[in-house]
Amino acid sequence: MLDIKNLHASIAGKEILKGINLHINAGETHAIMGPNGAGKSTLSAVLAGNPAYTVTEGEVTFNGKDLLSMAPEVRAREGLFLSFQYPVEIPGVSMTNFMRAAVNAKREHQGMPALNAGEFLKLMRAKRSLVELDNKLTGRSVNEGFSGGEKKRNEIFQMAMLEPCLSILDETDSGLDIDALRIVAEGVNKLHTEENATIVITHYQRLLDYIVPDYVHILADGQIVRTGGKELALELEEKGYAGLMQ
Amino acid sequence: MSVQHLHIAAGEHKHLVIAHVSDETAQWRITQEKDSVLTIHLFCLEKDDDTTCNALLDIEQVGEYAETYIYGLGVLTGKQQINVRTHVRHSVPNGKSSQLLKFAVKDNARAEFVGELIVAPNAQHTDARQTNRNVLLSPTATMHTQPQLEIYADDVKCSHGATTGQIDESALFYMQQRGIAPDEARRLLLTAFFHDVLTTLGEQEVEERIQRRIAEKLQ
Repeated sequence: MLDIKNLHASIAGKEILKGINLHINAGETHAIMGPNGAGKSTLSAVLAGNPAYTVTEGEVTFNGKDLLSMAPEVRAREGLFLSFQYPVEIPGVSMTNFMRAAVNAKREHQGMPALNAGEFLKLMRAKRSLVELDNKLTGRSVNEGFSGGEKKRNEIFQMAMLEPCLSILDETDSGLDIDALRIVAEGVNKLHTEENATIVITHYQRLLDYIVPDYVHILADGQIVRTGGKELALELEEKGYAGLMQ
Repeated sequence: MSVQHLHIAAGEHKHLVIAHVSDETAQWRITQEKDSVLTIHLFCLEKDDDTTCNALLDIEQVGEYAETYIYGLGVLTGKQQINVRTHVRHSVPNGKSSQLLKFAVKDNARAEFVGELIVAPNAQHTDARQTNRNVLLSPTATMHTQPQLEIYADDVKCSHGATTGQIDESALFYMQQRGIAPDEARRLLLTAFFHDVLTTLGEQEVEERIQRRIAEKLQ
């Protein structure tokens, strides 16, 4: 599904990613762990097409297509979803209008007719229950005045609405208490199928107790330095990054 | 250039809608008596990309407890120019005025807002507010904003704020990541930007018509 080859990327002239290689198949969950500044968030930003970053070398194939040549909105419509570490507040833009624009943009891309108001609200209701997102929140402006936990649940709600084939969860566990973490993780697990894949970016083992990865990659200084099964996260928890890399 | 004079009698409520000001000067001189309420809505949404608009609102509160509300919005594109000047004079005590004006300026368009607010020495307990927010949609667009407050009374509440910025890039990227095209994202963000001015109309049908007009201008 996703094939990253020798990916180098920089921001403001500073190289952050220094040759990433990663292959992800449908049905798999990959965890990417690593110390601060290793390039975890940069990798997710580059895959999503954030214009602040420049790809200097390498290639990324997504479902057989050249991902890096697509505009960010086309990547999204092709099925790439990024759950933001810091979801953006958009005062004055209602969740409903925002989600309707997003869902219908994807449907149009797939050659499907736009959902009418009734169908759309029905879909919102069905998906909202998945992450126990309050009706009041979907009636408000996008993320405005949401608590940290509500913002993250709102990300997973949007993921449920858009049914992506590749979801990248960028530190979705940061700022969550244990109950919110469980709700978010259960939502992600319910959305997981044999046809889609998930990349979980996290600092801590804790999230991986709930979202169990098939592979764990350790990212350090812009490169994947180790890959293993889920036990690698446990080893990391025990030894720390410094101990693991010796 | 003709000046329209308006005298608002004691206790009277008046609502003025000034729209389609193009290639001429809309100039109003208005006096307000005791307990009168004046609400002005100013819209600058001319389709023609080569127009110059001037709007001059000269308002004086001559009776106590008068209230003045000015709400304005404009979308300027192409080579359009607009000059909006508000001159609000509180000549007597206990008056209230509130101004909220927002402009989005694109291409080579140019907008100017001058807000003069005068509180006379005896106009104690005046409550006056002026807010001007602008967004530049192109690097070649210009906005000049000039709040001018002259306050000669000492027991008053007066505030003013003027900001000019650009579309929030992080919001734009967030929306694109959900599959929304940049043009559509900008349209949604600008609708949000004008939202508080539009809701002062209190009529949803008119609000929607103006929103469509804004969208057309930005296409």
